[in-house]
Amino acid sequence: MDISVTLFGGLRHFLPAGSSFNKCNISVDEGSRLDTLLQQLPIPPEKPYIVIINDEKVSREDYADITIQSVDEIVLLPPIKGG
Amino acid sequence: MSWHKQILRVNLTTGSCTTEPLNMEWAEAYLGSRGLGSKYLYEEMDPAADALSAENKVIFATGPLTGTMASTSGRYTVITKGALTGAIACSNSGGKFGGELKNAGYDMLIIEGESDKPVYLHIEDDRVEICDAGDIWGKTVWETEDILAKKYSDPLMRFAGIGQAGENLCRYACVVNDKHRAAGRSGVGAVMGAKKIKTIAIRGTTGTPANNSRTFYDMVNAVNARMTDREEMARDGTLAMIDVTNEFGSLPTRNNRSVRFEGANKLNPEAMHTPNANGHTNLVTNGACFGCTVGCGRICKIDPTHFSVKDRPEYQGASGGLEYEAAYALGSAVGVDDIDAATFAGFVCNEYGMDPISLGGTIAAAMELFDIGAIDESTTGGVKLEFGSAEALCQIAELTGKGEGFGADIAMGSKRLCEKYGHPDLSMTVKGQEFAAYDGRSMQGMGLAYATSNRGACHLRADPYGHDFETTDTPGKAQVVAESQRDVAFIDSSGLCLFPGGCGWGMDDYTELVNGACDGSWDSQETGERIWNLEKLFNLKAGLGKQDDTLPKRILEEPADVGTGKGLVCKLDEMLPEYYQLNGWDAEGVPTKETLGRLKLG
Repeated sequence: MDISVTLFGGLRHFLPAGSSFNKCNISVDEGSRLDTLLQQLPIPPEKPYIVIINDEKVSREDYADITIQSVDEIVLLPPIKGG
Repeated sequence: MSWHKQILRVNLTTGSCTTEPLNMEWAEAYLGSRGLGSKYLYEEMDPAADALSAENKVIFATGPLTGTMASTSGRYTVITKGALTGAIACSNSGGKFGGELKNAGYDMLIIEGESDKPVYLHIEDDRVEICDAGDIWGKTVWETEDILAKKYSDPLMRFAGIGQAGENLCRYACVVNDKHRAAGRSGVGAVMGAKKIKTIAIRGTTGTPANNSRTFYDMVNAVNARMTDREEMARDGTLAMIDVTNEFGSLPTRNNRSVRFEGANKLNPEAMHTPNANGHTNLVTNGACFGCTVGCGRICKIDPTHFSVKDRPEYQGASGGLEYEAAYALGSAVGVDDIDAATFAGFVCNEYGMDPISLGGTIAAAMELFDIGAIDESTTGGVKLEFGSAEALCQIAELTGKGEGFGADIAMGSKRLCEKYGHPDLSMTVKGQEFAAYDGRSMQGMGLAYATSNRGACHLRADPYGHDFETTDTPGKAQVVAESQRDVAFIDSSGLCLFPGGCGWGMDDYTELVNGACDGSWDSQETGERIWNLEKLFNLKAGLGKQDDTLPKRILEEPADVGTGKGLVCKLDEMLPEYYQLNGWDAEGVPTKETLGRLKLG
């Protein structure tokens, strides 16, 4: 199944080739966990990000336990500061 | 050492301009800029005095690193008692004025008393004169700078002054330097206006002591190499934050009725970068302050066919554009998704000398008053002050700058406005100062930071961002806020900018530069804590107390409607007692004798 993922800020530089401005579709098997999906994004390990699924923030320690659904809206945000 | 060890003191009542040695005992305890300026203010004035009286003072303070070759060394601070808040005001600005003040040979300029007629200050190194401002009083910031630059025929002369908003004592009038950089918050420009001092025109050629050291040169290069993550800041500026907070659900919208704005994608960096239907692009280029290697500034142009500037060529050139806070205040806070309208309102703020955060926050409160019927078109002078109206935003911004019509009410700030019209709970303020661009329900640490900020609601008095984006749970937030308030106070007192902290620098980098410039070994936490407590003492003597360390009812009682904090209110009562305890304050938020003794404040 294809999952839509949106990356904001500087994270969009790590979208796979052929992605639109800040969105991409990631193909994963039915029943895949969040960490499997995230591993398909070429984001360097030193780049921190926040994951939000359907408007709820996901804790890092839960990445391996969350099963992705085809209807999920997944957003990755850089934890920038200031303003 | 990088202090000049010299102060310029100007008394507007007597007309005297004198120099005196910098108190180095204080400099070694409070560093410079925000900290050292606050020490002078605390010692020299009665904090209970009226902010607009002759007893108040305005201090322009550089830090030891201001004007040096260190990156982002253009910062200076205006310290006074705030006209908006009645609390200590420390408004920080970049641009080129701070470096020029330092290069003129002064660590600090103290302005006291009040003039009986409009004046401006002209400084060229050790030549200082108080000049008649009769021909520039009533002029905008932009006009004033152009007139004086022509008069002195010096393209390198720098200016920091007020527009008509300051002259009219708009409660959130700011001090604008270099036409579009500003010591923006708390009404420092109104204090200038009350003293009838229009601007400071300065040219400095004496240099800055630390720049003579090869060791310091090598250190600066080494520290600069550690600023590894600045490309995004140069490309998108602080505006990059709008997508983050909107998705997270912490972008205050329509006077904090919501925390997500459906029009955010029309105000974000891509909207600024992308040509509109007329082929016009809002962003012209990025801009940098003195000595800056980040370049977060936005230089923008309004579409010349836009209603706000059509047939008004004076607004069709490039000038300081929307940064994140202005995009919130003149955008989501008022429900306006028109980037040109928000940019125009921002230009008006720079031109007339107003803080865009407080202007937008006050217009947002007025829009809610209009929405619930507390005011109507008979009050607003015929302006349909509806959320989302770009026309109303532009019209009211100009009226406020000029102090005309309903603009005179907007110039009071949202606290006084909402009290006047019988709905004080609709003012999104702390200590009378309007919220910055974060909501304290999904960002609980920011809620605590707003409530406890010594200058009123502010996003730059603490650094709870990382913790807030991790969790809405309150444990640990009091410590993050307390410790980061000290770090920020230290950085603000150094003469450097906070933003390298988001581009790769850590506190060790700042401390290394301070140690290098000051030939010392500084403890950022200890120095910052001393400064924070001194500001607190000023506020206590000014009559502020625990009752002022709070948030509006909306944030404490109305749950956030969407986003990661949906259903949450700010749990201030869970965090505040721990915060006081961590600071060594009693249950009323008063520093204990032991704390004052430990910090040598007793």
